[in-house]
Amino acid sequence: MLFSSDTFLYYFLPAVLALYFIAPMPRGSTSVRNTVLLLASVVFYAWGGPSYALLMLGQVLSGWGFGLLIDRWRGRRPLARAALIGSIVVGIGGLMFFKYTDFFIENVNSLLGLSVNALKIALPIGISFYTFQILSYDFDLYMGRTQVQRNFFTLATYVTLFPQLIAGPIVRYVDVERELHSRTHTLAEFASGARRFVVGLGKKVLIANVLGELVAIYKSSNENSALFAWMYVAAYSLHIYFDFSGYSDMAIGIGRMFGFKFLENFNYPYIADSITEFWRRWHISLSSWFRDYVYIPLGGNRVTAGRQTFNILVVWFLTGFWHGAGWTFIVWGMFFALMLLVEKFALGKLLKKLPRPVSHIYVLLCVAISWVFFDAPDMASAARTVASMFAGADSLAGRESLYYLRSYAVPLIAAAIGATPLPAAIAARLSRGRRGAAVMTAAEPLFVAVLLVLVTAYLVDGSFNPFIYFRF
Amino acid sequence: MNKNNGAGGFFGGASARQILVAVVFVAILGGFFVLNRLITPPDVSQSERRELAKLPELTISTLASGEFMDGFESFASDSFVFRDGLRTVRAASVFGLFLQTDKSGLYLGDSGAGKFERIDAESYRKAADKINKLADSLPGLNLYCAVVPDKSIYSGKYLPGFEPSEAREILSERLDGVKYVDITDALDGGDFYRTDLHWDQTRLDGVCAALYAAMNISPESAMPDGGITTAGGFYGVYAGQLALPVAEDTMSYVTNGYIDGASVSYLNARTGELEPGPMYDAESFSGRDPYDLFLKGVQPLIVIDSPNSRTDRELYMFRDSFSSSLAPLLTSEYRRVTLIDLRYLDSRMLPSLVEFKPGADVLFIYSTQILNNESVLLVG
Repeated sequence: MLFSSDTFLYYFLPAVLALYFIAPMPRGSTSVRNTVLLLASVVFYAWGGPSYALLMLGQVLSGWGFGLLIDRWRGRRPLARAALIGSIVVGIGGLMFFKYTDFFIENVNSLLGLSVNALKIALPIGISFYTFQILSYDFDLYMGRTQVQRNFFTLATYVTLFPQLIAGPIVRYVDVERELHSRTHTLAEFASGARRFVVGLGKKVLIANVLGELVAIYKSSNENSALFAWMYVAAYSLHIYFDFSGYSDMAIGIGRMFGFKFLENFNYPYIADSITEFWRRWHISLSSWFRDYVYIPLGGNRVTAGRQTFNILVVWFLTGFWHGAGWTFIVWGMFFALMLLVEKFALGKLLKKLPRPVSHIYVLLCVAISWVFFDAPDMASAARTVASMFAGADSLAGRESLYYLRSYAVPLIAAAIGATPLPAAIAARLSRGRRGAAVMTAAEPLFVAVLLVLVTAYLVDGSFNPFIYFRF
Repeated sequence: MNKNNGAGGFFGGASARQILVAVVFVAILGGFFVLNRLITPPDVSQSERRELAKLPELTISTLASGEFMDGFESFASDSFVFRDGLRTVRAASVFGLFLQTDKSGLYLGDSGAGKFERIDAESYRKAADKINKLADSLPGLNLYCAVVPDKSIYSGKYLPGFEPSEAREILSERLDGVKYVDITDALDGGDFYRTDLHWDQTRLDGVCAALYAAMNISPESAMPDGGITTAGGFYGVYAGQLALPVAEDTMSYVTNGYIDGASVSYLNARTGELEPGPMYDAESFSGRDPYDLFLKGVQPLIVIDSPNSRTDRELYMFRDSFSSSLAPLLTSEYRRVTLIDLRYLDSRMLPSLVEFKPGADVLFIYSTQILNNESVLLVG
């Protein structure tokens, strides 16, 4: 089920909110409310693929079972490690089978000249996210960073929690462990969550989807002009940011309404002055997951330069591959590995000395080019677009690009401004003082109402509405 | 109050702003939730001219297959209260807030509302191949092909849609033994309804003249003198799709001695027989698509006999809806006009239904919407 759908907004969410807040909390226990959330989450997930709900619950069962073994063998390191490996094998095995089997078949066929038929397995929604959550639980348990969860249903509530189930952020058990047992519900938090949810919804429906239309127009066009290629790159860069950060805002907002405090997943990544900084601001939950569960266990920074290079290459190969079973994703990941290595060992100090606009343009250019590979169906297509951006276009501009530049100028400019802290800074400034606070008391609810009605209008009219991160 | 509801309880510590935000949020979600259940949705959207999705059947099988969920998503959107009003809000936002020049191809231009779409060259080529195949089965006939230009080219905007020269280039190159007739210059924006995709019959003299010239006919007048009768006001298909307030169109039709003297027969698909009917059907005008006034709208096969025509020539029109208003005008020059709609009649049925007269004219005339979706043409 999509957050940005009439079904979710006006059927599922009101029903779940009502059931949740009606559910009692005997002696402060969250167990009844957790049950409401668990059942709602299973319905939410099964809505998009009923058969895969069982797979998800099976993976939770596996993670829970191995967790019990890790805890039981806590004093016997080899056995506990075996249990952790078992959890990794089951989790990653499931991910590999459902996400990567056809990719491997295709490449083995190409390499060996075979013609093994692809299995054409449908990708279970959100498998990349919930697999990582389950693994983080078992790994943290093994490392002694968290307590074992003996109640299967509580662990299942954590993994399947519908706000973050299918597109993140990747919430770690250790971060919500306390809230699963005891959390506070206040109107202030509810309002904060509602506002965050509506803002995320607006980012997704009013900006990401609109720019997604421009991306689709570019892809279906025959015009090969430099202007169109640059418009596409700009539109896609903003589209993916608003799509994914909008989803994260919605997840964080819904979580807050239910008393959970999920960590931030984006922090204005396009204002970064280096690629290193960009990745501290983009999909924070994923990059920190790879840092804590792959990079640091491999030795992290406390190793030789050669080993560190190897560690970075491994992490970014995996990051690229996590995003999709295709060479374009691997190239995308390795491109960032290369940029990070260059910054770490060569350009890092120079970048700090450069004027901010220059380093800022450098980041935007690198990231924009990376998105071309990320979005391309194959390497040849990505290469064509990059060529069009620089020298390989048939013309500077064409009929279509000029028309769509005019048509999408306002959404592009609005998105570019919206990707910076400027709107939040303006809102904060307006709130200052007694008078400002009084104005915002009326303006903020009005803003929420207008945004919600506008989003509903777009949804009812059946606008373009895909979610990029559903495929991961 | 429960101890897990914060130190001051659930409501404790909330500012007026937070209370209002929560109230607004709950009121909108809850309000629509309740209204969507209280108000029975209509079966048909008059503005969009389509049946709205109904609540799908809930069974284990539809649940397991996901059919119920897919159907419910459509139902939830289609049955939403104030649907038309919300669609207007979106359109106003697209054009007024984001200052976009079209809404998924729908635009407002000098000649009213329209929808542009690019030429699908591959589909055009396949359509030309189908025309060639039909042409092969019609030896000894004079074969012509024309494309009804999309009204977007007359919009006064530089829209990246239909391109007449591209259509001419593709079809001229591909067609074999079929003469391409360009009628682009015979029209302008005012020749189309402001809210509909179709052309206005009362303004087709230029099109008739262009066709006659190409088909070696020398008419006394492209549009013989007669009368113009107003059927009434209507909103075309783009008015509903655009969902913005637009001025009403007026639909009128041409009458003259040739048209009045002609008789029309429609194929009864059930019996396979031709049955008489009206040239202009006032009853259809008040139906879902007012343009059905002309030759009763969707019809697989129509024969118009015109005993008063100036010649004995016959014309076979392979056509779409645009020809419903064009064909009556041709009764001055053709003794018989046979209209064949291959969207509803498989070409393999033709030998048993139509006897093509040697030396007659054949006109393949389609709009770009059909040529862009050639698969709808049933050519076996």
